[in-house]
Amino acid sequence: MSLVAIAEKDFQDTVRSRGMLILVALFSLLVAVFAAVLRPGGPSGEFATEFLLSFAVGPFLVTTLVPLVGVVVGYNAVSGERESGSLKLLLSLPHSRADVVFGKVVGRGAALSLAVFTGFLLPAVVLIALSQLGQLSTFNAGAYLGYTVFAAVLGVVFVAIAVGCSAAATTQRQALIGGVSIYVLFVLLWGAVTGQFLDAASGLVDPLPVSQQQVGVFLQVSNPTTGVELLSNAFLGEQLFSGEGLNQQISAVSMLVFWTIAPPLAGLWKFDGDDL
Amino acid sequence: MTAIELRGVTKEFADVTAVRDLDLTVEDGEVYGFLGPNGAGKSTTIDMVLDLVRPTEGTVRVLGQDATADGVAIRRRTGVLPDGFSVYDRLSGRKHVEFAVRSKETDDDPDALLERVGLLGDADRKAGGYSKGMRQRLALAMALVGEPDLLILDEPSSGLDPAGAKEMREIVQSEADRGATVFFSSHILEQVDAVCDRVGILRDGELVAEDSVEGLREAVGSEETLEIAVGDADAAATDAVRDLDGVTRVDRDGNTLVVSCADDAKTRVIAALEDAGVVVRDFHTREASLEDLFLAYTEGDAPGVDGSGGSSDADDTDADDTDDTDAATDAEEVAR
Repeated sequence: MSLVAIAEKDFQDTVRSRGMLILVALFSLLVAVFAAVLRPGGPSGEFATEFLLSFAVGPFLVTTLVPLVGVVVGYNAVSGERESGSLKLLLSLPHSRADVVFGKVVGRGAALSLAVFTGFLLPAVVLIALSQLGQLSTFNAGAYLGYTVFAAVLGVVFVAIAVGCSAAATTQRQALIGGVSIYVLFVLLWGAVTGQFLDAASGLVDPLPVSQQQVGVFLQVSNPTTGVELLSNAFLGEQLFSGEGLNQQISAVSMLVFWTIAPPLAGLWKFDGDDL
Repeated sequence: MTAIELRGVTKEFADVTAVRDLDLTVEDGEVYGFLGPNGAGKSTTIDMVLDLVRPTEGTVRVLGQDATADGVAIRRRTGVLPDGFSVYDRLSGRKHVEFAVRSKETDDDPDALLERVGLLGDADRKAGGYSKGMRQRLALAMALVGEPDLLILDEPSSGLDPAGAKEMREIVQSEADRGATVFFSSHILEQVDAVCDRVGILRDGELVAEDSVEGLREAVGSEETLEIAVGDADAAATDAVRDLDGVTRVDRDGNTLVVSCADDAKTRVIAALEDAGVVVRDFHTREASLEDLFLAYTEGDAPGVDGSGGSSDADDTDADDTDDTDAATDAEEVAR
């Protein structure tokens, strides 16, 4: 399997990069600091793993730092090889360009997942230690592990978007600009941009059998960071795929799938027609 | 069967036409040297054979299949040493070859291949620390994976020292003996003469000659090169020689004048020098060197070539012309 061979090679290459190690260490350190700082005073404190994750680690770290790591890992996946010339070595072997793009998504996605799991490991040790010392009422390992999976999913989605952008870019510079734009759009400006869009498109929405508000909610959850936040909070509240938010959750899941597949396909479409 | 077949291939980039209406056929089992100065379109042609670049017009067929539609199937049977490639800096040499073995789904032993290109001792080092020559050897090892039916080598000797270039030729020869078709490019004719069945010379995107080396030599004609040891030749004397009928070029290398001229112009050259007051200490003639031959085709003095002749930059290579010729002649004898 050509795609698997590329994914494996790319995984090995990525996990050896220093930039990724630094980001993992930073991430891990910050989560650990959050856990230590936020612990309640005394053994009677009402502190729970879920609280830490959904109110501190989630909004401040996962939805900001994980997408950043995803973009950093993905943005030079194809364009970097194209600019350096190693793409020539890669494409002199029996690989299609589709194998290259999707192999990169898989390989770098796997490398990022490994990084996220490693990054959450150190904080887990801190949390377990705190609960052993009686500083923390409970450490819910299941919730913690599940949450880590959601964080990894978010990272993989951003890797896919960034790899798609990288495949479409002709130069490393274009890919970098694309990567920064992705981050700014999804992490910083999504609400503002979709709000503008919604205002501008209100005339179009009115005749449809959906309310303005429903469209607004859909646009919100179509942002992968919001989608993952929604799903992980539902998971921590033991409401995953049940209860009132079911429709929203399904929208969120389908949009995550969309973001994982569509950008690499779009990038491939451009990449496949290019002279290298 | 034909290994490579280009029919009416043209490639236009935004600002330049790199290849113009090119027809090229490489037969199965042949060793074909693809020559031309830098910028003649060799790399673009090879990139089209490898489907890295798509032709604007014309068809490219490799091993009987369409280069674009069946690229993966073609590359499964092809070994490629690309030009201007780079390695994966963080991965070891062995990992590179292992990756090629996995990609081609063969069961080659990476160590045996690394041994063959003389890289086994450095197999566990990260390729980022390799020299240019070592990277070239590494890519060759990757190209040899799976005993390919066709080997495409783009400037294979670049970055190699003379010993490395010789090893490269030996590997090319043994692959050809095994029955593989070898297509390789070079901007230096000496490198290809010893191993090539046929050479094609590309100039400004067009094939200006295609023949065996002997055939090309005959086509260029009865031109001879005269080497004259002189005491002191000033510019006026050199110009006087250059103005003679039958003289095509004059280069000065220290106390030696290298004159390319027709057979019957030799005595006039010597006479002209003596008239100019130059002491001729010694002189001898030699057959046109491959270098001269190549320059004749690529600079426009050869028969059938309509170019006006560009400026020469051959001065810096003239110093070892004689050695090259000897070496090439030896190599030819070995090849026969």
